[in-house]
Amino acid sequence: MKKQWYRLDNAALIFPAIIRKNWNNVFRVSVTLREEVDPEILNRAIAELKPRFPTCFVRLRAGFFWYYLETVGEAPKAREDYAYPLTHMTKKELHTCCVRFLYYGNRIAAEFFHSVTDGTGGMTLLQNLTAVYLELKYGKRIPREGRLVNPKEEPMREETRDCFLRCGAPGTIGRAEDTAYHLSGTPETDGFRHIVTGVLPTGKLLEKAHETGVTVTAYLAAVLAGAVGELQVEKGRIGKRAKPVKITIPVNLRKTFGMGTMRNFTLAVNLGYDPRLGEYTHEEISRLIGHQLAAETIPQRMAGRVTKNVEPQQSMFLRLVPLPIKNIVMSAVYALSGEKKGCLNLSNMGAIEVPEEMAEEIERFEFIIGVQLSYPNNCSVVSFKGKTYVNMIRSIRESELERLVFSRLVELGIPVEIESNAPNNVRQSEE
Amino acid sequence: MYCVYCGVKLQDGAAECPLCHTPVMHPDRKDGEQRTLYPDRLPAEERHGRALLVWILSLVMVGISMACLFLCLHRYHEVGWSGYVMMSMALAWVWVLLPLLFPRFRPMIFLPIDFACLAGFLLYICAKNGEHWFLSFAFPVTAIMAVLTLLGVAIFRYIRAGRLRLLGLYLMVIGASTMLVEFFAHITFGTKMFDWSLYCVIAFGALGLFLFVATLIPPLHAHLRKTFFF
Repeated sequence: MKKQWYRLDNAALIFPAIIRKNWNNVFRVSVTLREEVDPEILNRAIAELKPRFPTCFVRLRAGFFWYYLETVGEAPKAREDYAYPLTHMTKKELHTCCVRFLYYGNRIAAEFFHSVTDGTGGMTLLQNLTAVYLELKYGKRIPREGRLVNPKEEPMREETRDCFLRCGAPGTIGRAEDTAYHLSGTPETDGFRHIVTGVLPTGKLLEKAHETGVTVTAYLAAVLAGAVGELQVEKGRIGKRAKPVKITIPVNLRKTFGMGTMRNFTLAVNLGYDPRLGEYTHEEISRLIGHQLAAETIPQRMAGRVTKNVEPQQSMFLRLVPLPIKNIVMSAVYALSGEKKGCLNLSNMGAIEVPEEMAEEIERFEFIIGVQLSYPNNCSVVSFKGKTYVNMIRSIRESELERLVFSRLVELGIPVEIESNAPNNVRQSEE
Repeated sequence: MYCVYCGVKLQDGAAECPLCHTPVMHPDRKDGEQRTLYPDRLPAEERHGRALLVWILSLVMVGISMACLFLCLHRYHEVGWSGYVMMSMALAWVWVLLPLLFPRFRPMIFLPIDFACLAGFLLYICAKNGEHWFLSFAFPVTAIMAVLTLLGVAIFRYIRAGRLRLLGLYLMVIGASTMLVEFFAHITFGTKMFDWSLYCVIAFGALGLFLFVATLIPPLHAHLRKTFFF
C-alpha cells in the first residue's frame, strides 16, 4: 500500500519540538471488557482498522522545514501493558509508530503521541477498535452509529484535514495572561507515573453541579482549583505573594465548529481565580469558572484564538526557517512561557456512548493524559454507564492534591471509590 | 471498604489508601486474589553511563598537558611546544569527549563549536609563529569546511527522503567550494589561481549533476516533495 504523508496540524506542531530525554506529550485511552483480552484477535482488529484511520497509524518524520507524519507499512502489534500508564515514548519509537496498543487482563489501551490526534480522536479510534475486536471475537454484528464507522469504507476527507486552518476569524485574541501558581514535589527518579482513579456516580455529580448552576467540567475544575489554592496556602504563599490559580481546560472544537476531523482539534483555555483578591468558597469558584468557561468558549473567541495560533505557521519567513532552528526556538519559547499560565490540566471527554450490543461487553472506558513538562499533576475525566472516572496522574511522590480533591468531593456529598496503580500486595509498614 | 481518614471507598484488596497512605485493616483479604490495576512490567531503562569514562579521560588529558607544560617551563623557561600539546588536548576534548557528556549528539550545536575551536587552535599556531595566514586563509577555509559539514549533516540527518538529489547538489557545492579554497591560497601564499580546483569542480560537478538528473523520475519526485514541503 502506498505510503501517505500528512503535515502536522497547528496544535501538533509544538510536540515534536519539545520532546525531552524522559518526557514527551502522550495520552491514553482504554477500555475494560467483561472478558480477558485475546492478543491475537486484538492484533487482527488493529490490522483491519488501519486503512480506515490512516492519520492514526503514522510515524513521525523530519523534513527540512517541518516534521510530518507518514503512514506506517504494517499495523503495530499489541503488547502487554506496563506498571504505569504513558511510559516514555522514545524518539526511536516515534520514528516507528506514534501509537501503541497495550493489553492487560480485560483491558485494551491505546497510547498516542499528541501530534497524531487529541483525546476525542483517540477515543474514536479505540471505540472502533473495540467494535471490530468484539465482532471478531464473538461474531456479533455491531451497528455503526455515533462515532463508529465501517472499517471497510474509505476515510472521509474531513477526517484527515487540519481543521484549525478552516475556522479562523478576521481578528485575533492575544495570549497575555498572568503566570499561575505551579505545584511541585519530589519527582520519581525512574519516571514512574502514579495514577489515582476516582470513580464517581455520574448522576450525583451532575446533580451537585446543577445545584451550583454550572457544568460538570466547571464543577470539577472548581474542586481542583480549590485544592491547588489550599496547597498554595500550605506552602506559605498568601496575600500578595500568592499567584493566580488557573486550571487549563482543553475545549473540543469539533462541537464548537461542527467539524469531524480525526486530527487534533482542541484549544485550551485557562480558567480560575486570583487569591490575591481575597478568599473564595467552593460555590464562588464554581460560579466564577462556570461563567469564564461559558464566555471563553463561544465560537467567536475560539476562532480568534485559533487565528492567533495559526498566524506564525502561515508566515513565509518562519516557514522557510530550517527545522533544527525552528526546534530550538520553539523549545525555548515553550520552556519560557508554554506552561506558565495554568496549574494543571483538566480534560473532560464527557460521556461515552456506544451501541447496546457493544455496551453489554464493556465495563468501562478510561482516559488519561500525561503530566506536563513543568508541572507534575494532571487530571482527565470520562463518563460511561453512569460512572465518572476521574484519573489523576502525577510524576511526584506526594499525593496531597489527590487527597484534597477526592476528600473534598466526599465532603460535597459525592461518594468516591478510589483505585490506584500502587502495588496493592505490599503494605507500607512491611517495607 | 472505606478509608477512615479520607472517606473514600477503596479497591478490594487495597493495602493502604492511595491518597493518605493510611494502612487498611482487612482481615478477610487473601493475597493474590485481586488482580492489580496495572502489571509489574517496567519499561526498559535507557542508560547513559559514559560520564565517568569522560571524566577519567579528561583527567588523563589534563595530566599529560600539565606534565608537558611543567617540562617546558623547567627546561626552556617558557611554554614552548607544550602550548601545542595543551591546545591539541583541548581540541580533542571538545571534539571527542564533550559530546559524550550529552545523551544525544546534536550536530547543529556541537559542530559549530568544534569548528570555532579549530579556528582558535589555528589562530594560536599562527600567532605563536608570528605569521599572517590566519585571516586570509585559515579562517575562511575553516568557515567553508564548517558550512559544508553542517550542510551535509542537515541533509543526511534531518532529511529523510530525496537524499540522492540533495547529494547531487551537495557534491556540486563541494566542487565549487574547492575553487574558493584555492582562491584564498592564492591571495595568501601566491599559489597559482584555479589549478587543481578545476579538476575537483569537473569531477564533483559531473557526479552531482548525474545524481541530480537521475532523480527526475515521478516516484522519487514524490519523496522529494515530502521532504521539502514548507
